[in-house]
Formats: sequence, structure tokens, C-alpha cells
Amino acid sequence: MKKIMVGNHAVSWGVMLSRAEVVSAYPITPQTSIVEELSVLCADGKLKANFIPVESEHSAMACVIGAAAAGVRTFTATSSQGLALMHEMLHWASGSRLPIVMANVNRALGAPFNIWGEQSDSLSQRDTGWIQIYCESNQEVLDTVIQAFKIAEKVLLPVMVVLDAFVLSHTAEPVDIPDAHIVDQFLPAFKPEFKLDPQNPRSFACFLTPDFFMEFRYKMQRAMLESEAVCKEVDGQFGEIFGRGYGLVEAYRCEGADVVLMTAGAVTSTARVAVDALREKGRKVGLLKLRLFRPFPKEDILEVIRKVEKVAVLDRNLSLGLGGMFAHELRAALCNEKVRPRIYNYITGLGGRDTTLQILNDVVYQTYEQPEPPEQSIWVGMRG
Amino acid sequence: MAEQIILRTEKDMPYQPISLGSMEWNRTGTWRYLRPRFDNKISPCNESCPAGQDIEGAMVLIGQGKVLEAWDLFQEESPFPGVCGRVCYHPCESSCNRGEFDEAVSINALERFMADMAFKHGRRVTVKKEKKKEKVAVIGSGPAGMTCAYHLARMGYGVTVFEALPVLGGMLRVGIPEYRLPKKILEGEIDRILELGVTTEVNTRFGESLQQKDLKEYAAVFFALGNHVSKKLGVSGEDEDWAMSGVEFLRKVSLGKEVPLGKKMVIIGGGNTALDAARTALRLGAKPSILYRRTREEMPAFPAEIQEAEEEGIEISFLVSPVRLLVERGQKKLECVKNRLGPPDEDGRRRPVEVKGSNYFIEVDQVLTAIGEDADLATLPKKLGVQDSIIPTDERGATKLEGTFAGGDIIHQPHTVVHAIGSGKRAAIFIDCFLRKQKWEGVFDSIRLGERGNLSMRRYLTEEKERPPLSPKTVLLKDLNIDYFEHKKRKKTSRLPMGKRQGTFEEVNLGFPEETAVAEAQRCFNCGVCNLCDNCYIFCPDVAIRKENGNNVIDYDHCKGCGICVEECPRDAMVMEEEGR
Repeated sequence: MKKIMVGNHAVSWGVMLSRAEVVSAYPITPQTSIVEELSVLCADGKLKANFIPVESEHSAMACVIGAAAAGVRTFTATSSQGLALMHEMLHWASGSRLPIVMANVNRALGAPFNIWGEQSDSLSQRDTGWIQIYCESNQEVLDTVIQAFKIAEKVLLPVMVVLDAFVLSHTAEPVDIPDAHIVDQFLPAFKPEFKLDPQNPRSFACFLTPDFFMEFRYKMQRAMLESEAVCKEVDGQFGEIFGRGYGLVEAYRCEGADVVLMTAGAVTSTARVAVDALREKGRKVGLLKLRLFRPFPKEDILEVIRKVEKVAVLDRNLSLGLGGMFAHELRAALCNEKVRPRIYNYITGLGGRDTTLQILNDVVYQTYEQPEPPEQSIWVGMRG
Repeated sequence: MAEQIILRTEKDMPYQPISLGSMEWNRTGTWRYLRPRFDNKISPCNESCPAGQDIEGAMVLIGQGKVLEAWDLFQEESPFPGVCGRVCYHPCESSCNRGEFDEAVSINALERFMADMAFKHGRRVTVKKEKKKEKVAVIGSGPAGMTCAYHLARMGYGVTVFEALPVLGGMLRVGIPEYRLPKKILEGEIDRILELGVTTEVNTRFGESLQQKDLKEYAAVFFALGNHVSKKLGVSGEDEDWAMSGVEFLRKVSLGKEVPLGKKMVIIGGGNTALDAARTALRLGAKPSILYRRTREEMPAFPAEIQEAEEEGIEISFLVSPVRLLVERGQKKLECVKNRLGPPDEDGRRRPVEVKGSNYFIEVDQVLTAIGEDADLATLPKKLGVQDSIIPTDERGATKLEGTFAGGDIIHQPHTVVHAIGSGKRAAIFIDCFLRKQKWEGVFDSIRLGERGNLSMRRYLTEEKERPPLSPKTVLLKDLNIDYFEHKKRKKTSRLPMGKRQGTFEEVNLGFPEETAVAEAQRCFNCGVCNLCDNCYIFCPDVAIRKENGNNVIDYDHCKGCGICVEECPRDAMVMEEEGR
């Protein structure tokens, strides 16, 4: 069944199809309509979940941590300052190895106060032990939510599904809604090995001395690294069943390319148009869409860009004093490779500013023109 | 301690930071230094009911739709919910914590509702006790006497009730008019008492056809003669044949006798008798008006009565006293004088002071006097020490004469139906103690409901070891966690249309329909009493509230004493205490 829906409702419907049992969330623009739609689905009995309203994002995360520890499938959603407020609890979720799924609608962090799209909120949570997947379309949003539960429950790490403020969250497009019973086959009920049970009491997220702490971190690190293969496997299965697969990265018209644009999120769809136009003009330009950010799918990326001369990384985010975070990750991943492209970093679209076709063209031409990447990131689409 | 699990390498460790073994051994309750406890207390309605009713308990049951069970609960304390549900001045509602929050729960109307439902379903009173050999005499069949007889019969005693009038019920029968208390309701409740084996002898006035010596076969006696003699105005002309006392007028109407009416009728007095007489006269076709010597604020009649009388068109003149009754040129007249309010008298109400020279005359056909009633106790044994129409009694209701108790309007207590019922019940309890030769001094502590001396028959009849603990504290609004309560308007009962109130004695108050009653009962806060709202169960962060046999119990092995349950209890039914170590 196809439905016209905004990205936020695609999240909610993905959660409904995944049969989450506890949903707890606190509203924040531009996430609010995810929560609204979920509360409606719960009230209508379409989603048989306990919907727990809370007084803050910190509590929302604490709430789903408790519920997940009790052995149920849990979901929450937030954005920007809300995600920042959750920060402490993000560590408790991953450290407890609880398969929580959260949608984060990318929004700039204040100050200055701003409600529009920017990836700095989710990327700032890079080190919290959460798997992060960035989506390009509303269809991908819905599909990724379903995949996320399967991944999370397999590797016992929480998963963050990331979508752009307004460009996805509040923009409607056709979304194919998979049949619930087929989703049930793809994603069976969550049956954890351990759960909070008064009849069989165990200590969860227990106290550990220096004698044991490192080993648990080691296991987490291994789980995070192994989750890359799980993400790929789950996406593959999903593709087989539903006819839509996304990969960890996607190479678009990268054959023989000398410059490859690297994007994450909704700007990818604009980049596809830009690349098509440039190819028309005879430019050997390709596009690499990064879908999985954490763990960082280095091999899949290398497969696309190893022999490319230049990669222009589009960062709709900023690590102050460093530059774009995607570019930084890519440089770090490639630094020990003998053959590797030069990395050009472009900062664009902060605080919801549009990344237009013109800007993308500029990025490509600047990359062609400069033989070596400058020391600092290049800011494009600035006033004046 | 559980068996130790050795973790040598990373591979021995679980992927999640959890204990591999059970934590059953870890009794986290040992961390506690404060201890929560379920602690039922006294709700203010229960404390203020002179009949000692478990009102709070009945509200829970009605709220669950268990109306007949609620009636059963009320029957434990009084045989007259149908009566009280109509004529009680309901001090329970005045003390209802909801009254301070929004509006008091409509307890009186709910009592009537459950009584009506009990009639409709033919509900009967159950007696569990075996018959006892002792017999008790009850003198007077009013609310005090019949309540005493009822409880004694339920305890197994043989009871005979002696009544001076030809009908049973005392003032309930001959004092309160039909439109407030239909005869079939009163008779229905009296019939239930008689079904318990209580025998009665009507037309048997003490001191006339019944003498003290006739009572020898009875192991105990309860005097409850009631106040049936109207006080005198003390003005000239009051013995004219066109003047009559209000109680006599009401008694005659009740017994179906002829009464002199006259078109223009003046009733003197501001109590319920005055109002009842006026409203009765109105229904018989007279045009009554009321004279009262003070102002509306000082009127002893129930406010609802006054309001209904005025709605029916009965005029009440305030600050007027009668001076004399006279006939001038064949016209009956009442000379009156105007008053102003002076300083308060001994009962705290401002005393009326005559305004000199303000005398005036009103033309009348009939005058009724209703300025208060006394008992006729002249024929009672001297040893009782009767003073000012009152028999002195101790805290049990026992008189100076061994084995003789008294209650109702002839002992020192407010003259209300519900106080009469309370005194009858109290007498039954202590007659039982007397006959069983039990010490009575300690009884009060285990059956008292709060500070006002009201007693619980249910607790009295429950074996001591099975009596649920009851804290002596009465719960007030400040003790409740009112965040959990919504403001909800009090439900009103419907009234007989004005056009139907003249010429008939149809009941004015029409009561509640069932849905309204259930919703109204659900307004009850259940002050001080656990109603299994489960807030403690939901909020306990240690899963230390457990369900056992339909009750919530605290698992002290794991309760850390955080006190959240006590804090979140909406109704002060829990208490936090220092842990004894």
C-alpha cells in the first residue's frame, strides 16, 4: 500500500510495523509529529504499546532503558537540544547493551536559537556507543526504522535513525507501506536472553571495579565493529523481501569518476540531480552516499573511492576548530592507505540554509580547480 | 550468598553488564532506615456520623456498582438508612474533605439511594448469632429504641418494645411528615427489625398500662421515650381552642385524625417542627406563614427545609415574637412585637430583644406553636434522677439505676434522628457488656471512630484478633495528595415539581438515578483508607509492593524505605516510620 506521508509519520509507521511495546518521548520541534502520530496510533489501538509521556528527554531515555531491560521492544525520538539533554542516558543505554531504537530529526543546536536542519546534534553523539544511520528519503526512513530494530536486537547496541529537519520530517512524499505480516516475518518478537524479572532477580548495569570494566568495553567495541556486517546482512535480507535495499553506502555514477561528492542525508537527492547534470556536460563526477556513519564502513567506502583522485565531502555540520565531521572521519579512516584520494571538505547548509544545485556545482568546480585541498574546510553558500 | 562465579577472562563474562547468578540473596531491604506501612485511618465523614456509619466503605462499594453490599455495610450500624437518607442533617457532608476541595460528596442522597435499592431488591438483614436467654425491654419505638432493639436482636437477645402510641416509629412516624419521610419507607425498615424476632406492644404508655414492676422479667431496660410535649409560649390566650402545638398537629395528621385548619395560619417557631407543620398545613389547603423571633442565621431548622418551604410560598417573618392571642369583635388576632438582636446568649446565638412600642396585630384563623419540645418523664422511677426533661447518663448511656440505660432526646445530646440512632446503638453495646458481665472500660478504645465518641458495631462484633487495625487519626484535606484528584461538581437530586406539592404528600426529594449515584460515590476521596488505587504499586522503584490475595503488601526484603509510595498515596492510607533495629 502506498501512502503520501511526511518523514516523521514514516518514522511512526515504521515503529508501528515493528510492534514496539513501549514508546516514551518528549516533544521537540521538528520531532513532535512523530510522537503525535505514535500517540494516535496507540490510542487507536493500531500500535499496542504503552505510551509513556515524560517530563524531559533525559527521562524519556531513562524510561525506555528501564523498559528495554525488562525485555520489551522500545522506541523514542528526539532532536537537537533534546538529544543533547539525553547525552548521559545514551551511554547508559549502550553500556547496558539494550537494543533501543531512536529517531533523531537533525536540527541545529543553539545558540543562536534555530529549529532548522543540521547534522551537528547527532554527530556530537558519535562516541556514545550508538549505531547511526542517515536517511535520504521518507521511504528509506520507514524501512530503516524496521531494519534498526533487527540490527539492534542482533548486536545488542542501540540504533539511532537520523533524518533531516523539515526537508524530510515535514515534507510529504509517497511511501510504500509493507504488509504487517511480512514485517512480522522479517522482524520476529524481541526475546532477550536476560531481562528484569522479579521472579529471577539479577543486577543490571551493575557496578564494576577496574578488575572487570575494560573487558566489558572491549566486548562493546567488538560488537560495534561486528555490527557493520550485521547492518549489511539485515539490509540485504530486507532488500530480498521488500525489494528495497540501501547498502551501507551507495555509489551513484562513480564509474571512472575523478571527483566524487560524499553526502549524507536528504541533500543526497539534490546531489543526484547535480551529478546527472554534470555528467551531461561531460564531467566525470560521481556521488557517494554515506548511510551508515557509526560504525564507519571504511571498506565499502574504499571500494568506491580508492582510485578516485578527489573526494569532496559535504558537511552539514561543524566541529568547532576542526571542521566537517564526515570529512574528518573519512580522513582518519584513510590515513594509512597507500592509495587514497585527496579529501576536500565543504561546510554547507548550517542552521537549515538550503544546499542548492548552484552550491553543489560550485563545490565540484572548486574541487576540480584546486590541485590540493586547503588546510581548512571551505565554507560555501555564505552571504555576500 | 549464592555460589561464587569466577570470571577469569573476557570470554567468561556476559556481553551485558549483568549478574550471572540470581540476586535473590541480596535483601536490599536491609538498607532501609525508614519503613512504610499501610495504615488505614479515619475518614472525617465516618468520624462525624453519630450513628458510626462506615460511609467511606459504602462509597467504595457504590462506586463499584455494589449498591446492595453498601447497604449491607450500613445495616451493620443502623437499621434506618432509608430514614436517615431522607431526614438526617448529614454532619458527614459538613466535614467531607471534598467540601474544602470543591463540593462535599452527596452522602445523604447516596444513603437514601442504597436504601431504596435494598427495598427494590427485597434485601434482608442477616443474623449470625445464636439466641440468648436474656430479655431486654425497650420503652419507646422511636429511632433510639428501635435501633437498640435491632442491635440487641441481632446479638441474639429477646427484645420487647413498648410504645405509648398506636403506631411504631416515634417521632419518625408522628413528627416527620409524609412528604419528607414516606410511611412505607419507615414501615419497611421497622418490618425488617420485627423480622429479627423483636416483639412490640403498642398503646402501652409507661406509667399507665406499663409499670416499672412489670419490667422485672427483663434483664435490662432501655428508656427512649422521646420529646413529644410542646413547650409553652407563656403568653395569654395560648390555651384558646384555635391555638395548638406543632407536634400535636403533626401527630394528628400522621394518625389520620381531624385537625383544625383555618385559611390563615400562623406558625410560631424556627425549628424543623415549625417548618414541618407549616408545609403540612400548606398541603392540607391552608395558607401558612411563620414567625421567628430571631433572623434566618439563627434558625435551627435545616437550611434545605427552609429553602423548600420558601419555594413553596411559605412566608417567614423574622425578628417577631408573639405577645398574646385575642379575639376582637369576633376576629382572632395575634399581637406581635418586633425584636432586634442583642448580645449572644449561652448557646452562642444572639438573643432577641424586644423593640418597645413596636407592637402590631395580625388577623389569623389558626395558630400553631413550635418553639421546642420536652419529654414527659414524670412517671419514670425517681432513682433515675430526672432533671429538666433529661435523664443523667454516663458515657455508656447507663443511668443511675443498675441495668437501665437511656437514649434519644431524653438524655443530654443533640435532638436529631442520627444522634438518637447512635445512642440506641451505644446502649445495645453496653447492655451486651452488662449482660455478659464484661468489663466495659476498655471497649471504647477498640471500637471508637475518632475523637467524637462515635462507635462501630461492626468492630464490636468482630473478634479482637480479626479486627483490622485502625489508626486513631482523622484524615483532613491537608493530609491528602490532592494532585491526584480532579474537580468534579456535586450531583444534585431532582425535586418534585412545585405544582405537585399542594394538596398531596408526595415525597419532594426524588433521589438519584443509578448512574448518577455511582458517579457521585466515585467522587469520594476515600480519605485515609486504601482503595487499591495502586499508586504505590506503580511508583515503587524496587518492585517491593506485591499483590497478595487481592491486597497490596510491602515486600520488606526489598523495600529500601525511599518513601515514594507514602508520598504518592493520594489518601494518606500509608505511613512512614523509623525502622526499629
